[in-house]
Amino acid sequence: MSESSTRILQVARHEYRAALRSRALTVLLVILVTATAVSVFVSATDYASQLAEYDAYRAAAQAQGLTRIAPSPLAVLSLLRGAFEYMEIIGAIIAITLGYLSVSRERTNRTLPLLRSRPLTGTELATGSFLGALGIFTTLIAATAAVGVVALGTIGHDWISPPQTLRLTLACVAALLYLSAFYCLGAIATAKVKVPANGLLIALGIWLLVVLILPQIGDTLDADNQLPGGLFQALGLNHDGEVAVLTHFTGYERVRTGIEEASLAKHFERFAFAMSDVKERYRPYGLPWLLNETRNDIGWLLAYATVLFLGLRRTLTRQQPIPTGGIS
Amino acid sequence: MITTIASQQSQLLRRQHVTLVGLATMLAVTAMAGILGWSSHHTIVRVFDEAVRLQAAAGQPAPANPFLLKPNLSLLSNMVVYIPLIGSLLALVVGHLALVEDQGQATGRLLFTRQVTRSQYVLGKILACTRFLAVTMAACALVSVAALVVVNRALSASDVGRLAGFYVLSWAYLTVFALVGMLTALLARRRSLALLSAMGVWLVITFVVPQFTSGLRPTQSLNPLTEPVGTSQAFFRATQRAQPLSIVEQYKTVSGTILGTAPNPTTGDTLLAIVPIVSAAILLTLLVLWKVQHHDYARSVTDE
Repeated sequence: MSESSTRILQVARHEYRAALRSRALTVLLVILVTATAVSVFVSATDYASQLAEYDAYRAAAQAQGLTRIAPSPLAVLSLLRGAFEYMEIIGAIIAITLGYLSVSRERTNRTLPLLRSRPLTGTELATGSFLGALGIFTTLIAATAAVGVVALGTIGHDWISPPQTLRLTLACVAALLYLSAFYCLGAIATAKVKVPANGLLIALGIWLLVVLILPQIGDTLDADNQLPGGLFQALGLNHDGEVAVLTHFTGYERVRTGIEEASLAKHFERFAFAMSDVKERYRPYGLPWLLNETRNDIGWLLAYATVLFLGLRRTLTRQQPIPTGGIS
Repeated sequence: MITTIASQQSQLLRRQHVTLVGLATMLAVTAMAGILGWSSHHTIVRVFDEAVRLQAAAGQPAPANPFLLKPNLSLLSNMVVYIPLIGSLLALVVGHLALVEDQGQATGRLLFTRQVTRSQYVLGKILACTRFLAVTMAACALVSVAALVVVNRALSASDVGRLAGFYVLSWAYLTVFALVGMLTALLARRRSLALLSAMGVWLVITFVVPQFTSGLRPTQSLNPLTEPVGTSQAFFRATQRAQPLSIVEQYKTVSGTILGTAPNPTTGDTLLAIVPIVSAAILLTLLVLWKVQHHDYARSVTDE
């Protein structure tokens, strides 16, 4: 292993250990894990009763000698929807907090000049911090997924199959990219301003826009969402009628989709929902088709994470070793 | 003395540009709600015209006019989402800054060498924050009136009254979060921990509690039109009893009633739904008053 790699790994280990000691992060982690656990518990309990009903129906149909039995409409992975939604909202705040702490800790403790007095380049510092953060996120996502899968198996009485495990793993990788992008955002915003807490506020403002406001606008502009129960249903239009009417709204739909496309959260959501059978229209298809269908979302997730990591590297490389902020 | 401290705090908020940024953000959000409302109106008109044409071509009777299903003030239904999302975060930051600045710059120590009690100090801070929120809500109300006049072409006295009621309720709701920001600033020694703890409370109130009590998923809280969720499970039968304590749900329910976008319950039910919000504000005020008496202003807050 080269000397540079050793230094990067040392910074990564330092980042990982320091993050585990932070009380702010612990508070947010407890909120995320509790909310996710309850969400999966509630879904799994409901699923268990639906599964029992379906099994009873199948047994009765088989006893009567029926050859055509309706397939189960249930999708066990879709029960993780709440977990993905919490990851999208609370997970992003955790990532921003980690990015903020990573920069402000070195400034407040005045350890940045010490670190930079060693043969450690800005790129090595950025890469090491980033890898440490990825380690934290991997632990968090793996623990959340494990709790979810065990809850589905023990409470929902349905263990996921190997192909489903693969799809869940891909959704977890998407979550890793999503969180790493927000980590870089938090670190860049903190490093760029004089008072670290202001950097945190700026990053949270961007989070509000990207995670909550843009998807909300996209949802609100959906033509069918204009009335409770659906506008098309209120007008007595069936699916064909809806499609016929929407052909006159291509420009409008393009604007609405464009607003949603600007949100990183929406790309993560679309990919994770496609992988976990949340949307019914994706359920009949295999993994290659799903990956092809969501290639746009994969591309955006990769692009955001890469651009923000390059931004972090640039910011830390240019950062003065002498702290410019402190107690405020 | 309370008004002096309030004036000084208002001046500080102006100097830090919090007043300007906060006001501009909320006005932009209100204008956006108006634009979204207009877009919704326009979309419904166009979809209705297309549906009438389609049904006529198929020899079927024209569908009912959907505007009969849409109340006048539904144009502002997005505000019911934006106040708990953006407004409450702004209120958190204002409450947080009101107390944390004196701790960080150690001006708290200097201040208490003068003839000022801690209760007067904190009541002055609360007055400054609530005054700022009241001015912001009043400005938002004016923008909403303008949006309603532009889109609906008319505004009745009853609608103006409902609008005023909605913004008074929103002000009370935001006050709760300003007090949360203050309380966490007094409880945590680190500035970032205070801010993140306040955000943790906001996350729990806005997203987690509604899922526990009503089965609402986090993203459902972002949409002004929420489909009813099946809550027949034993879990929800137990947690639904705590629904009156879910202040975000109470806020949305009362707002829907005031704006006429939700089923009309009795006045007694509406007043009962406001009680948790008012109670939370009173309880938090008492906690802030109690906590400030014991706060050690000799130790300054750190930034990590």
